[in-house]
Amino acid sequence: MINRLLRISHDKGWVFWVTGAAALVSTGAVVTLFLYLLKESFPIIQAQGGSFLIGPDWVVGEVYGAAPMILGSVLVTTLALVLVLPFALGTALFTSEFLGPRWRLGVKSMMELLAGVPGILYGLLGVALLTVWVRDVFGLIDGNTLFTAGVLLAVMILPTIMTLSEDALRAVPREFRETAWSLGLTRWETVTGVVLPQALPGICGAVFLGLGRAMGETIAVMLVIGGLDRIPDPWYNLFSSGQSIPSKLGREAAEALGTGLHWHALMGLGCVLFMLVMAMTFTGHLLLPRQKS
Amino acid sequence: MNRLWQERLIRASLGVITLTACLLLVFILATVLWKGFPALKISFLFEESRDFGKSGGIFYQALGTLLLMAGAVLLCLPVALGSVLFQTEFLNSASIKKFLRLLIYSLNGVPTIIFGLVGYLFFGLLLDTGVSWVTGALILAVMILPTLHVSIQEAVETIPLAYREAGLALGLTPWQLIRAVIVPQSVYGIVTGTLLGLARAAGETAAIMFTATAFSGVRLPESWSDPVPTLQTHILILAQEALSPQALTNAWGAGLVLLALVFILISATLLIRTRLPMESER
Repeated sequence: MINRLLRISHDKGWVFWVTGAAALVSTGAVVTLFLYLLKESFPIIQAQGGSFLIGPDWVVGEVYGAAPMILGSVLVTTLALVLVLPFALGTALFTSEFLGPRWRLGVKSMMELLAGVPGILYGLLGVALLTVWVRDVFGLIDGNTLFTAGVLLAVMILPTIMTLSEDALRAVPREFRETAWSLGLTRWETVTGVVLPQALPGICGAVFLGLGRAMGETIAVMLVIGGLDRIPDPWYNLFSSGQSIPSKLGREAAEALGTGLHWHALMGLGCVLFMLVMAMTFTGHLLLPRQKS
Repeated sequence: MNRLWQERLIRASLGVITLTACLLLVFILATVLWKGFPALKISFLFEESRDFGKSGGIFYQALGTLLLMAGAVLLCLPVALGSVLFQTEFLNSASIKKFLRLLIYSLNGVPTIIFGLVGYLFFGLLLDTGVSWVTGALILAVMILPTLHVSIQEAVETIPLAYREAGLALGLTPWQLIRAVIVPQSVYGIVTGTLLGLARAAGETAAIMFTATAFSGVRLPESWSDPVPTLQTHILILAQEALSPQALTNAWGAGLVLLALVFILISATLLIRTRLPMESER
């Protein structure tokens, strides 16, 4: 049985054991992470049951309700998606269908760099510029709103969605395009008639991965979202301060570090976040085109 | 409107959208440069910060960031390399390989703040490293594991079968094969993976802000259990609490240094990646 799984059945030697140990460490790290999240969030479910997920109030030491944070996360992520989609898809289409190889490389390199800008710098840009703009443009008292966070997130996930959907578009075989061209279709007609339908699952995958990234982003959102643990009034009011799950974790983790129900409540939030993000990441991976191996 | 004009109109509007997206990068770069440049002097780089970041430089913060980056990569690289080699050299079952790949890849999607939370529990409390740079390096090492792993694995898996067979025909042991064929042939994957890992570690704040760092009163760690100041958390504190414009300017200055560091690493990766395929085509 074991021999069938392994390529070399005799004379394993030290290399086998050393690399095996490394493989064990790396997979062990993943499994440990998952198990710890579950184990540590168990006490809060035990203490509060389902009201942890739907409770509207979060008062440290008394009651922990995650609803404002969950709603906040969903709101900012949705807003980010709506804002970024035309830009990401437009750029991806233009780069893959209309640009020559050299320009294409240029745009992709720029996206790669944009993806590398540290989150804290987006946070700084948000604090110093975006919150002020949002406050002035919309005539608000405070520029730290869910809207501001959504705009910032849109910029942050642009490279992710653009790069991955561009890959999905490029994965459509060139013969398909050439056939369409030879039938006299223009480039754009080729795109809508041939390339897009083929690449659609991949583009959806890119969007899901981008959503996962947006949902988990902590530091930039934490600086501009306002940090108010209340459900906005009305609930879809983007121009009020709010809280997302990661920003809540970022703000309170240092206070609650390691022990007590407060900590377990935060770990419970972490677990909710984890499951949301994992669901999106896995959906995304299922949809992305398989790379040839 | 005829088809040609429709085509032109769409092409133009898509072009404008693309230009906007690219200008976003230019805008970010320009803003950071413009705001950070006044702070940037030689002394800014080589002085310690004083008055809670209001005056002085970022010397120890920069060292702290470099320390965490280096620690993370030194811890991660052997594990990632070993793990890849085990999967490519010894493991024969395609379904187990697929499962392991999925497991590692799922780590890539995990929000970084969760690495901080669980990492603190596991390293900080269970292994008793506390709030220290060691905890930070360990957490970052786990965080960049998928980056290195995927990069190295892709490089190893694209080595032509003939190379491997040539080695095996010479009767090489697994270790000799790894040393003489696998590692030299996949070195660009190892290098790009490492550079990208370094860039990711340098840009990360959420995972280390409550597990590895301190704002003031610390310089270089004197023991395993000391926290360090870092550029990322320095910017974070200044951005949140700065009332004086001078402190904010220093935050931009620190941001400029951090951005330059990350961009150099990513540009190097891009250069290596676009150069090497040409070489393999010869």
